[in-house]
Amino acid sequence: MGKAKILVIDDDADFVDAVTPILQSALYDVISAANPAEGKQKILNEKPDLILLDIMMDSLFDGFSLCNDIKTSKEFKELKDTPIIFISAVKEMTGSRFQFKAEEQGLVGPDDYIDKPVKPDDLISRIERLLQK
Amino acid sequence: MQHKKPIVLIIDDEEAMRDSCSQILLRDGLQAETAEDGTIGLEKVHDLMPDLVLIDLKMPGISGFEVLDKVKEYDPDIISIVITGYATVESAVEAMKKGAYDFLPKPFTPDQLRIIIRRGLERRRLIQERESLRREKKLMEENFITMVSHQLRSPLGTIVQYFEVILGGMAGKVEPKQEEMLTKARDRLENLMELINDWLDLTRMNGGQILDRFRSLSLQKVLKDIVEFILPSAQKENISLELLPYSGDDRIQGDDETLTQVFSNLITNAIKYNRPNGAIKVSIEEKEDSIAVHVEDTGRGIPEEHLPYIFDQFYRVKQNGEKKSKGTGLGLSIAKKIVEAHGGTIKVMSQPGKGSTFTVFFPRARQESETG
Repeated sequence: MGKAKILVIDDDADFVDAVTPILQSALYDVISAANPAEGKQKILNEKPDLILLDIMMDSLFDGFSLCNDIKTSKEFKELKDTPIIFISAVKEMTGSRFQFKAEEQGLVGPDDYIDKPVKPDDLISRIERLLQK
Repeated sequence: MQHKKPIVLIIDDEEAMRDSCSQILLRDGLQAETAEDGTIGLEKVHDLMPDLVLIDLKMPGISGFEVLDKVKEYDPDIISIVITGYATVESAVEAMKKGAYDFLPKPFTPDQLRIIIRRGLERRRLIQERESLRREKKLMEENFITMVSHQLRSPLGTIVQYFEVILGGMAGKVEPKQEEMLTKARDRLENLMELINDWLDLTRMNGGQILDRFRSLSLQKVLKDIVEFILPSAQKENISLELLPYSGDDRIQGDDETLTQVFSNLITNAIKYNRPNGAIKVSIEEKEDSIAVHVEDTGRGIPEEHLPYIFDQFYRVKQNGEKKSKGTGLGLSIAKKIVEAHGGTIKVMSQPGKGSTFTVFFPRARQESETG
């Protein structure tokens, strides 16, 4: 396997800008999308190895629905095993209880979650762990 | 709104009465249920959750008044209408005082029954609508808090992210003096983000929203998860952390998310203010009418003059010669609010130089859950 390709889906362009060098320092290819719709397109066209997904973009919880779509809908059939890490600045929606909440809503949650701002080492080690699976 | 048939429960010892009322209500498209005495009636109230209950005041066994009381106690929003056989004004008045919505003197015509039931159900519908509006409003408020939190924290998060990149040397070499200043700037920003979080937590707590999330839970399980989660950071500081075994009753009514916050806060403090190679013991103790959780550390302790204030918002214990410590000064006041929302209390005992023990007392789970 060559360099892993990471897709960052976040409506905050500056955050994408700031997190890109961190990912590049670990020699990943980085692509990005600024909203859920663009994110869907990029997932289908670029087939990333892992997705960093912001929870709140156009609406309060659209990261939830996009994640659930990727994991369950036909559209993403071959890509449904792509690991997803949630990234959010809102702590209440993340942390150890987040997955539990996604399930409560009848949604399939992400593989991991991380708070914004991310610590570079923490982010890289979580990505590595999921890529090795 | 759900469009299921309204349920009307008829509690009357006379079979003829039950049958004729059911017939009329069924013809009107309602779901009619019957019970021949108060005991069975109350069971059916729990099982069927009726919208309206017709109660005969004069029955063998438990009286209609008592049934009325119990129904009110179970769910004050259920509409109760009493049937007064002996048509005395006194009993009707007493029933109304006890919370009956209306009364129906025997004998009555089908139309009289229909009208009174229709009005009662209309009242019920209004109550339910009001309730669902209240819930919707609360959800909006909660989302509003989440939104504000997001709007405040997002930009800060991105700023810190830039600092992380620069400090990580990913944007070119950083001189030591620059690194020092950037680190300080980053830490201050992170502290500000914490503060926003804590403050929003307090706001949430004031709304009294956690009550809705109460369920029966095992304190031991909650504590075990927290201790496991925090253990690595205690080990990093060379501090031992253990949860002492406990075999008594440990069930309380509570919300595990906020309780996790309380005990994480107490244990994290116990790590932060401990001495090198110190110890932390977490234990559960059964008291006469409460269950206590102790978090005991071997730290420097809290000077007596500070003790009355440590649960106040933004209060910080400053020891001599110490620089401003990290944290927001809200942790313990949030903990106290959460504990109080659980009907409990939080106390501290401290011996300067030896350590502090924080104790949280919870009221025991009441044994009423057996009936539902």
